[in-house]
Amino acid sequence: MKGASEEMRLHDRVRSNPRPAIVWAVGVAILVLLELGRIADGLVRAGDITRIVLSLIASVPLWVGRNVAAELPGSIGMLMGNVAVIITTALLMLVIAPLILRLLPGGSIADRHNVTNTPEYRLAVDLVVVTGLLLVGFAALAYTPVGALADAMSRTIGDGVRTVGHLPTITGRETIPNEGHRLPDGGWAGTFLGLSPAWAWGIRVGVIYGYAFVALAWAWVGYTTYRSYYRVADWTPRDDSINRMRRHWWGLFGLTVVFAFVVMAIWAPSLGPVDIQHNHFQPYQHEFTYLSEDGEVESILHGSANLDTRSQGGASTVGIWSYDQYDRWAPLGTATNGADLFTVLAFGARTSLVIGLVSIGLGTMIALALSLITAYYKGLIDVLTVVTSDAIISIPAFLFVLLISVLFQQADHPIADVYDGGLLLALIFAAVYWPGLWRSIRGPSLQVAEGEWVDAARSYGQRPMTIMRKHMAPYVATYILIYASLLLGGIIIATAALSFLGLGVTHPTPEWGRIVDQGRSYVGTSAWHVSTVPGLMIVLVVTGFNALGDALRDAIDPESTGGGAADATAAGGGG
Amino acid sequence: MSRWRYFLMRLGLMIPVLFLVMTIIFVALRMGPLDPVAAILGPEGTGGDAVAIREQLGLNEPLWRQYLDFIWSLITLDLGQSWVIQEGRSVNGLIMIYAPRTIWLGLWAILLPLFLGIPLGFYAGLHPNSWADYLASFSGIVWLAMPNFWLAIMLLTFLRRTDGTRFDWYQIGPEIRSIIGTPPLDFIAITDGFSVLPFWFTFDLGGFLVAVKLIIPPALVLGSASMAAELRIGRTAMLETINSNYVDTARAKGLSNRIIIWKHVFRNALIPLVPIITNEAVLLIGGSVIIEYIFGINGLGALFFHAAVQGDLPLAGSLIFFFTLIIILLNILQDLLYTLLDPRVGYER
Repeated sequence: MKGASEEMRLHDRVRSNPRPAIVWAVGVAILVLLELGRIADGLVRAGDITRIVLSLIASVPLWVGRNVAAELPGSIGMLMGNVAVIITTALLMLVIAPLILRLLPGGSIADRHNVTNTPEYRLAVDLVVVTGLLLVGFAALAYTPVGALADAMSRTIGDGVRTVGHLPTITGRETIPNEGHRLPDGGWAGTFLGLSPAWAWGIRVGVIYGYAFVALAWAWVGYTTYRSYYRVADWTPRDDSINRMRRHWWGLFGLTVVFAFVVMAIWAPSLGPVDIQHNHFQPYQHEFTYLSEDGEVESILHGSANLDTRSQGGASTVGIWSYDQYDRWAPLGTATNGADLFTVLAFGARTSLVIGLVSIGLGTMIALALSLITAYYKGLIDVLTVVTSDAIISIPAFLFVLLISVLFQQADHPIADVYDGGLLLALIFAAVYWPGLWRSIRGPSLQVAEGEWVDAARSYGQRPMTIMRKHMAPYVATYILIYASLLLGGIIIATAALSFLGLGVTHPTPEWGRIVDQGRSYVGTSAWHVSTVPGLMIVLVVTGFNALGDALRDAIDPESTGGGAADATAAGGGG
Repeated sequence: MSRWRYFLMRLGLMIPVLFLVMTIIFVALRMGPLDPVAAILGPEGTGGDAVAIREQLGLNEPLWRQYLDFIWSLITLDLGQSWVIQEGRSVNGLIMIYAPRTIWLGLWAILLPLFLGIPLGFYAGLHPNSWADYLASFSGIVWLAMPNFWLAIMLLTFLRRTDGTRFDWYQIGPEIRSIIGTPPLDFIAITDGFSVLPFWFTFDLGGFLVAVKLIIPPALVLGSASMAAELRIGRTAMLETINSNYVDTARAKGLSNRIIIWKHVFRNALIPLVPIITNEAVLLIGGSVIIEYIFGINGLGALFFHAAVQGDLPLAGSLIFFFTLIIILLNILQDLLYTLLDPRVGYER
């Protein structure tokens, strides 16, 4: 902080010394431009997922209404069903209202109109007003032409983003293609610069990881720029944690492994030597060309070719780091069904990461909210949470997850179809593992609830919600990171174990545990790689998460000792 | 709060916990997405059977009545009967048959890591930053990250490959024809009638060795995670204890190294290991499903797996309640051990 005074906002501080910020922003712009297509594509996907989630939430009132109507006889049922729909809708709006309230620029509505002075009433008035407005808004969307207009607008924006999403990117398959066929005179056609598919693929992987690590480094540069030029405080306690983390070699190893895993999940479509749509999902609708033994360039369906490249210990086995009969490059060999193993594994990384992040995200939200509430209010709600968490922890987690996933799968529940059971698994994990997360931050949150600044805030007349959010959550949230990182490893193992048993994530979504299961009978043969490689990857990734968790603990809470990984693995245990 | 009052409070808290567990199981099985009768009969079940089973399971009663019946039968440990796996047999009887195999597996899965993990950890703690320490710590970390199902497959393949080499797993010790399978537990039997000897059971050494040999590979895999945990905790516990003041005092008093380690350090280093060892039981129950599935052991884990997959929901529900009960009892035991071992428990709260 050179020449910045405390009253200036970040915006003003940047304006008074723009050079470092501009340099950094230019770097970010270049990085974004290089990958604009992929980012837009990601936005489209995020939009699709949001739409699905919203429509799921929107279907809740009707579902409740139907159930109520079915339980009660005749016309009373109909009537009560409709009432239930309205009540559920109102309740849903009431849940959304606080979020909207926080986004409102001017603060409390009741304050501006001088309705009341007592804080409790103020909150109630705000909530009722916003809920009412929301209901009116939704009614307008549903029953008036406004809805069609909004729909058309969102469609136009969506189409625009979609068009950008088709732009070529530096890490795209089209930029550095590796699928081609041999030429009769020895060269290659269709590949990047006429290189061999192995080289072209290697260059693409190098570019992807190079780009990702440069982006990571640039983010770090941005942080240091902010820290040395634009931050008001010379020092914050978090600086110490970050410095400890930087010297923690074991933790940096973990961070590298985890980052490489995340990159693999994000760039899965580009990383594979073949397009997964062509090779794995719809092998009988896509062709590729190859040089046959007669010296002719012929084309063949991926599905037909895969029949000759099945790694089942026989002559058709395609081992690690080799070309198959059709000159397709297979860096990790092929799977038992003949599809390229590396491609399938990269998408398996995506499956694991999505399930892990969704379940940890939900679990963390539940645990954080409960820990703040129980630490702040104590009393009955604390005892209830203790009993609930003890009960859930007492049930053997792996068996319970297994049972619940069987229940949903055999009943053909629609939720079991989303992501071939992945979403269901993530939800079950969240429901089963939040008590562990809650317990891990119970100590710190009880401690922080006793803090003098919380007392001070209370005596100022701040609302409990605000106290929890502003004065307790930031302190507690760092602690939850430790356990979450350790638990992610456990969840990856549990997902793989369930899929290994034929539950969990089912065909065709790739999953590491299922690949291990498929290659199980061939470990003693020339097709040993099918089971071995995914297993080694699980070991590496879980070790990475454990190392990262240990390092986070050492960085955030240097006084603490032991525990950690062992507890979390126990929580995820069973795999 | 005295430590015994704290213990009693924990004990009292177990009652609502137990009720909540039963409620969760009830909600999952009776109010969940899957109809128990449809699960038992499969898609092509006939109407008559369905009505009969529905009647017998009490599904025609109002929900609150079902709930009370369900809770009552679980409290009285009347766990009902199996409907698919072994139709008509009582769950209690099935547990009596299947449990010994799982207990045999669990026993060895606790013993092996105890006698490998803790000594290794203590050794590493006594020689910090030596090569042995690094090796022990590193293998502990990797061990912890290894999924059991994968380790089991690799170990099985390795043992199968030893056939015909100098280290032939089939030939070492008692000869076995297959690596996998349920270990025969009939080496120990209670003799009926009068016996002259003071022992009223017979013991067959050959059968015992076969049972041990069959159980060692699965037990090693099942205990791998606990072994790693024990190694790590043992190491830190030893390091902390050995650097504490009372060891310096003992050394200043002129006590020999051996007495310091065995009399003072060892006992204190054991305290943090108590939760690890009880935690192991939880790990074992969860892990037994996969291990028994891969190693072909006909124990409770395999029984639960087959019950769940083949739609025998009453059996699966009863088994999961049984497992939970064991874990709750173990938690009580752990609290008791803490109360006995560590005088500080409960004081700070």
